[in-house]
Amino acid sequence: MAKWFYPVAGLCALMFALSPFVIASAPYESTMGLVQKIFYYHMPAAWLFLIAAVVCGVASVRFLISGAPRQDRVAWAAAELTCLFGLIALVTGPLWARKAWGVWWQWDVRLTASLMGWLVSCAYLLLRRYGGPGSDKLAAGLALFGAANVPFIYISVNYWRTIHPATSVVPTLPFSMGGPLWFCVTAFVLLFVLLMSLRIRLEEQRARLDDLYLSLDE
Amino acid sequence: MTRLTALLGIILLALGQATVLFAQAPQSGGTLQQEGFTPIDQLPPQDQLPAAPLLISAYVFVVAVLFVYLFSVARRLASVQQQVSRLEGDIKRGKRA
Repeated sequence: MAKWFYPVAGLCALMFALSPFVIASAPYESTMGLVQKIFYYHMPAAWLFLIAAVVCGVASVRFLISGAPRQDRVAWAAAELTCLFGLIALVTGPLWARKAWGVWWQWDVRLTASLMGWLVSCAYLLLRRYGGPGSDKLAAGLALFGAANVPFIYISVNYWRTIHPATSVVPTLPFSMGGPLWFCVTAFVLLFVLLMSLRIRLEEQRARLDDLYLSLDE
Repeated sequence: MTRLTALLGIILLALGQATVLFAQAPQSGGTLQQEGFTPIDQLPPQDQLPAAPLLISAYVFVVAVLFVYLFSVARRLASVQQQVSRLEGDIKRGKRA
């Protein structure tokens, strides 16, 4: 592993261990109360879900243009993280919504588009797992749809009628709530970088294993 | 007859307009309850959900999913690295032989 990996992993673990105390120190939101504290894990996970989908899409485009295996590995790793962080966002959101909105799920644009984005990432992974030879290029094409969906998910709350909070909420948060939020965002971003690094290394090792089997056959 | 038809037409038109106006939601001054929204703290106690189980479920789920994923990646990586080491050893031994 790279030299930076273990110090960053230690820092990330420390931040996650401290995060419950930081979140507990944030004040209660006036209308939702205690349940609003789900926000401090929900929102970073949702952001990383979108970022991972963009990374997957960009790496897929580069792979389709250049055919570089490294870009394919990055895309595959990012697709898995899209699925992971999407799952977290799509489970913590309804747990929050049940109390705040009175329903588990609402078929509005933000939620439906997020579910679609998550399903695209699942389709990518299934295609890579069971698609056989040539599935890398098919999956790269699919990743483009996943990335194209991201701006739509992000701006949907500003243009369509929805009960989901708009994107203007975060910039207007007071420091007492914004501080814990950015602390958690930093912890999640570090985790994302670490997981990406681990996952790319796994693909590199698999490629090396394939090369070794080929050299054995020769 | 023509006057009667015209009068009936005017009355129906007026009734139609009144129906449309009546059916419209108030533009301003309507209370939240009239718009179909009730603040959560004003719900009767039997309709209020405790927040703590939902909050704890959310955090436990996040931590569990992250641990499972991290464990899965570490296990897959260890397995592949072990196979790589074994094959490299086999190839070296093959070359020596």
